[in-house]
This record gives sequence, structure tokens and C-alpha cells, in this order.
Amino acid sequence: MRQPEVTMSNTITVTIDGKDVQVTEGMNIIDASEKAGVHIPNLCYLKGMKGIGACRLCLVEVEGLKAPVIACNTKVKEGMIIRTKTEKIQEVRRFVIDLLLSMHPLDCMTCTKAGICNLQQYAYDFGLKESSFSRKKFGYPTDEANPFMKRDPDYCVLCGRCVRVCREQGTHVLDFMGRGIGSKVVTAGDRPLQESGCTFCGSCVDACPVNALVESDRRHRGREWEYEKIGSVCLLCGNSCNILASTKDGRIEKINAGAEAGSAERYICAYGRFGFDALDAHSRVAAPLKRINGELRVTTWEDALETVANRLKLAGREAGIISSAGITNEDAFTLRKLARDVVKTKNVDSTVGLYGDGDFFISSEKADIDRSDIIVLIGLNPSQWERTLPALDAALRRRVSRGAKLIVIGESEPRIGEVATVSLKGDVMSLLRSLAKSLIEKGMKADGKFRASVENAEVTEDTVKAAAIIAEAVEPIIISAPHLFAASANLALLKGKIIAVPLESNAKGVSLMGLISDGKSYGDMVNGKTALLYAIGDVPLRQRPDTDFLIVQNAHLTPLAKQADVVLPSAAFLEATGTIVDYLGRMKHLHKVVEPYAKSMSHRDIFVGIARGIGSVISKASEAEVRKACRAKMKIRFSPFGQDVSVNMSPEEFIQTINESVIRGSRLQWLEETEGAVTA
Amino acid sequence: MTEQKERSTGDIIHETENMSCPVQKAAHYIDAFLKELMCGKCFPCALGTHEAAIILRDIISGNAANPDIDALRRITDAMLMASRCKKGRDSAHIMTELLNDPAFIEHVRGRCPARECTSCIEYRIDPDKCIMCGDCQTVCSYHAIVGEKKVPYLSGYLPFEIASKRCTRCGECLKVCPNDAISAGERKDIMVISDS
Repeated sequence: MRQPEVTMSNTITVTIDGKDVQVTEGMNIIDASEKAGVHIPNLCYLKGMKGIGACRLCLVEVEGLKAPVIACNTKVKEGMIIRTKTEKIQEVRRFVIDLLLSMHPLDCMTCTKAGICNLQQYAYDFGLKESSFSRKKFGYPTDEANPFMKRDPDYCVLCGRCVRVCREQGTHVLDFMGRGIGSKVVTAGDRPLQESGCTFCGSCVDACPVNALVESDRRHRGREWEYEKIGSVCLLCGNSCNILASTKDGRIEKINAGAEAGSAERYICAYGRFGFDALDAHSRVAAPLKRINGELRVTTWEDALETVANRLKLAGREAGIISSAGITNEDAFTLRKLARDVVKTKNVDSTVGLYGDGDFFISSEKADIDRSDIIVLIGLNPSQWERTLPALDAALRRRVSRGAKLIVIGESEPRIGEVATVSLKGDVMSLLRSLAKSLIEKGMKADGKFRASVENAEVTEDTVKAAAIIAEAVEPIIISAPHLFAASANLALLKGKIIAVPLESNAKGVSLMGLISDGKSYGDMVNGKTALLYAIGDVPLRQRPDTDFLIVQNAHLTPLAKQADVVLPSAAFLEATGTIVDYLGRMKHLHKVVEPYAKSMSHRDIFVGIARGIGSVISKASEAEVRKACRAKMKIRFSPFGQDVSVNMSPEEFIQTINESVIRGSRLQWLEETEGAVTA
Repeated sequence: MTEQKERSTGDIIHETENMSCPVQKAAHYIDAFLKELMCGKCFPCALGTHEAAIILRDIISGNAANPDIDALRRITDAMLMASRCKKGRDSAHIMTELLNDPAFIEHVRGRCPARECTSCIEYRIDPDKCIMCGDCQTVCSYHAIVGEKKVPYLSGYLPFEIASKRCTRCGECLKVCPNDAISAGERKDIMVISDS
């Protein structure tokens, strides 16, 4: 019976290579040694997953045990004395690396993995120039028919990391064929990746210790040691995954997943990994544009800002400002200052209203997926294949594989339901009421109004089963679609933390910063008439709304921008510094990876410039101001079980629309052109 | 589960009982292990036994040197200590025992004491025993036997000889000789080089 991995907080002392070190009980020896600053060689170990003992490089000697044990699968105990580098063990390691070298192409000179290759590092550590065993040549063909990843089985050391990573996250594209030295990592039927259900997320590329799985264009993009590594956050969808960008000479060469090794959230999808091509796409707006005699013409920032400032000043209270929720906290806060204090309009709203309510995201609580043992998913269909909240799909599947339990509730069963312990299908409100009733019957406390509202709910075998699971949970999380948040939060009043997952990366942040309308809502401004409409960021609009003057501030020349009167070029998220608050309530930091394209400026700099044009001086949001705004809390309260917010665009359509420019302007376009490839 | 019953390490060793040469035994064991028993899940055993099979083939064909035997020993030592499963460790025990036989070093010098490894032996016809009956010549498909069949009551016939360059040591002539005149012996053309 697998136990969920809720970290035990027992600290114990072990001795590693003569040094005493404090570690958490239950850790394996490899992780514990890392804490002591000792690296134990390994090729097949993946942090976060159980060790399989295939490579045998991690053997260590433990005092009191006759034979050496594998460090990846042995848990530390109080007082253990571990030696990681005895002569016997070093000889075995040298032997295994020697054998691997005999079946590996020895071309470190031109290999793109040089510098971060585990095999190269270990060969160096053991002083192995060449193999003392017979040379094996395989001559396997490569799989490079897609513009994302290249598979080169000749370099494969059969460690199995890619197979296990792909299987754990649920895509299961890769597997072993054959056994022993003749085995090969293949797709089903050894077909190319695009015909095998691969979503090109690149988790395998991040896992591979050698050059067998690399980005397709890696060859011409410099050597590892030439790169500067900058951590940031991807803002393309509501998952806001951590990323690690590698730059050389001011250009991005590749992007890898940036979450901590071992975390279930260590993932980025094809959009986040390969979308950076779009930073210099043809659709990028290089300079401000102004409509003169019916045509958009290039103009100076001075002219553009003056025009916009005058128009905004003129419109005053009638001005309408709509913003994407994919902008940073600093940009959102500065925008609010501009709108409220300078332009003095109440009509400021974000796209959050299209799929939820700002208040929902503010009251969404803080949680940690890596520590949760029970997860309840309500009304959501996170899918790596549709690329809607793919990181959530991967993280939840990994958690289930590591021992957590999943309960899904929805009108139809989402694909992730295949790993759920209980799947409740039907009218969501009725199911929520039934589940609430079952939980109350199990002893959860609820006030009179709550009890009364579920008194006549029907309880089924499944809801009782689900309630039993939740009742025994240590750290349950309830993850809800935003439009069902109010009802789902009722469950959190009984037990668990409630999270609303937005479709955009900073829905919580922009709501905390105050981009919630006191006047006209997003819907009102877009569907009704406005004197002036100022659209910021990637808003999902294709048609110009009924307005006398349209200003679009975005990085790309979208179909909407083409219909604008003024276009202000803004910096993309990889060109900006700032913070966001992600869906789990964490503040994440973006760091500027490359300089803004051509003449584009960050959103907040543009707002300051416009304010100046109107005659006011506002300062960009400071760290203190942002932190203060983030401290705003809203407690969840009981609300009757009824759907408040109507949704008029499906999540898949929404995410595709806001990222259209990135998809069209990068190699992601290939996904739409290739039949059989997994598209959104 | 497998359709036919999988052989165990004991079964495979049992099959080698009618072989005398320890190198042949080792090669048979490794080949059977690679085909069936090996789980293939750990590097020392999966990669090591593959390498061991190559080295043993070299030893049998007389193309090996002393470092190859050291390499075999390295493989079995590592398999003993680092194998993931009992099958690997048991195989390591079996191989280590076989390796202790001095016959391995003899093979490097080109000699097979048990006279089983074909590249280390030479077939010879004992001139005293040969009755020139021609039976061996009839069965030799490589035309390696030189001699004229004796016609009764005539004289002047010489004992048959085996042209060692053509002989493949298939063993057919050995079986048919009525007088047991053909035997396997050491190759005379191998130079004995001192141990290095």
C-alpha cells in the first residue's frame, strides 16, 4: 500500500564520508548526501521518483551492512554511517562508465551536451580517455522530423529516465524495446514523435543525462558554458510555470523547465519551451503606430504618447480600459494608478471576468501541490494534449503516481479521470451538494444555513466514498474551475484549501492590484459603446468593439491591433522584470531575459509616459506597494449552490486565442500544419 | 509467464557437463544467459555479459591476449558486487570458478588442453596406424586429406596426411577411421610467446 509522500519533519543525523549532517528522516541517501555537499554519481536516478537501481553507480557502503547498497533507493536512518567512495565502489563505477564509453560515440569535441553531460563528467572524474572494452557501433537512425526535439539513439546510455518521466506524467510516448545492450528507447512501433501522441513538452529533454534527446536546433546555438542562465516565469497560461532561459550574446538559445528538481510541477509545455522564437517574429510591433488617413503609420514615442494622453484626458470618466490578466503585478498596479488617479475613470477591468470573478481569485487560498495527499478537481479538464493547463495535468498525474489520490467532479469525465480514485459525473451543483452532505454526515462542521441548503441533497455510494477519502486527508486541496468557485469554496469551509485556476497567468495578481471594475465591466465595455477603449496585453478580441478611439498596447500586431487607432509596442514577458501571484498563491519573480524588441517598452514605463503627457507624475509601482496589495485577503464564505458566472469561450479556445501571435510567430506553427501532431 | 520453461543457472551448467574445456563451458553459459536468463535491468550484468561473450569468442578463436582474461575477471568481480538480482550474482560465481582454471591462460598461448576449441587444435593422422583405407578422404568435404587409397596386394602406398590449412576440424574423419588413427593435437605452427 503506497503511502502518500507527505514530508515527515523528523530531523536525524547521519555521517557521510566522515561528516555529520542533519537530514530529514525518510530521505534517500542520494538526496541526503546532496545536503552534505557530496555528489553520488548516478545516471538513472530522478529526483522525486523512487530509485530503480539500474545503473548501479550510486552504490555506497553502509557500516553494518555486508554488501554495498544503492543510495537511490535506501532511506537514511538515525546514526547511519555511510561511505560513498571506497576503493571497491570506485572500481565498480569505473567499470560501468568504461563499459558505457564502449557503446557511446566519443565525440565530446562537437557534442552539444558537452559541459553538462553526466557521462562526460564521470569519465573525467575517473580519468577514462577511452574504453578498454570492444567498441560497439549501433548506427541507429535519428528522429528529427519535427522542429522541436531530436532523438539520437546512438548516444543513449539506456538509463531509462526519459521513459519514466514520460510515463509518470501520463503521456507514455517512450518505452524500451528489447533488453540488455540491444535495447532501444522507442515510440510505439518506432514511429516518429509526431505520430506517437507526443505533445513536445520536452520533459524527456530535461531528463536526459547525455545527448540522446536534445532540442532540434541545439547544434548551432553555442556551447553550454557560453550560456547565461536566467530564471523567470512563463506567462502564457494560468499555470505560470517556472522556466530557466539560456542566453548567449543577448539572444535566447533555449528554455528549460525551471521548477525545483523533484517537484511534481517541474514541467513546461511546448508553448513555453519553444514559443520564444516569437520574440522577433514578423508580427512584433517595432515602433509606435498611429492611424493617419486611414492607414497605420510608424511614429515616434513622443507623438504616440502625446496623442494617447490627449485622448485619455479628453475622455476622462468615459474612458474604458481593459487589460489582459497576463501582465505583471507592477504593470497592473501602475495601470490602476493611471486609471484612478490620472485619467480618473472607474471603467478599468481585466479579462478575468471572462472566465471567473476577481474576488474568487483573491479569496483563492495558498496551497502546495507537492505536499497534498488528496486532490479534488472540480469542473476542470486540464490536458497536456489540448494544451489547456498542461502543467496542472502533469503535476496531478505525478502526484497520483507518487501516492496521492484524485477525486474528479464534472459534467463529463475529463481525461485525467483515468487516474482518479472516484469520479463523480453529472450536474456539478447537485454533486457538490451531495458531497457536502456526505462530508457533514462524516462529522465536518457546518453552520445552520449551510446544513439547510444541503438537507435534501441525494447521497450516493460514490459521494460517500469520496467523502471518506477527504475526511481522512492530511492536506487536501480543492482545485476548481473559476466559474464554479463560489460553490466549490463551500466544500473548503468543511475541509481543505480551495484554489481557483485561472486561464491566465496573473489573474490573482491583477485582481489583488485592484483591476476590478467599479464602473463598466469588461463585458460592458466590449459589447457596448465607449468613447475610448484602451486595451492592454493579449486580450481575446478579434473584432474592434464599438468605440470612437481604440488604443492597443501589445507586443504583437494582433488582428485587433490592426484595427486600432494607436498601437503602442510593449515588451513581452521574457523582456520584463516583475512579479506575479500564481494560482497557488505564491509570488513568483520574472527576470528580464533579453532586452525589449526594437522600440518596445514595458507596460509600466508606457503608463508613466502617458501620465506625464496628461500632466501628472506617477511612479512605477514599488516592491513595497505590490507586497502591500498582495496582503489583501478575502475569507471564503458560504454561498448558495448556484452558478454565478457564465462562460462564453471554452478554455481551449481562450488559451489558443490569447497566444495566437506566439504560436503563429514561432516553430509552434508547425503543430497546426502537421496532420496527426497533437495540437490545441 | 513464459510459454516454455526457462532454464535455470543449474540447468545451463548441466548442459555443459559433456564439455571438458572450461572456456567452452563459459561461452555456452554466457550465450544461454544472454538469450534467456538475464533480466537486462542493470548495467554491470547486461553490458558486462555482452562484453564477456565477445571476449570468450576471441579466446576460443585464439585471438585473445592476457589483458582479455583480466577484463573477464573485472566483469565477474563487478557483477558479483553490483548486480541488481541474484541471477547476476550466481552467474558471477559460476564464471569466477571457471576463470580460475589455468586453461584460460593456455588458450591465450594458442593451446586448448581439452582439445575442444577448434582454432587451437590440429588433426593429425598417426602414420603407424593408418591403413590407407580412404574412408576419411571420402567423408572430408573440404578436401583436406591427401593420400592414395591402397589397392590390396600392391605396395608403395604412403600413410595419409591432413593438410592443416584446409582442415576445419569438423571431426567427421575422426568418427569414420576404423583404426583410430586420427587424433586432435596441439597446433605446431603456434609460437609460444612468454607471458607478458
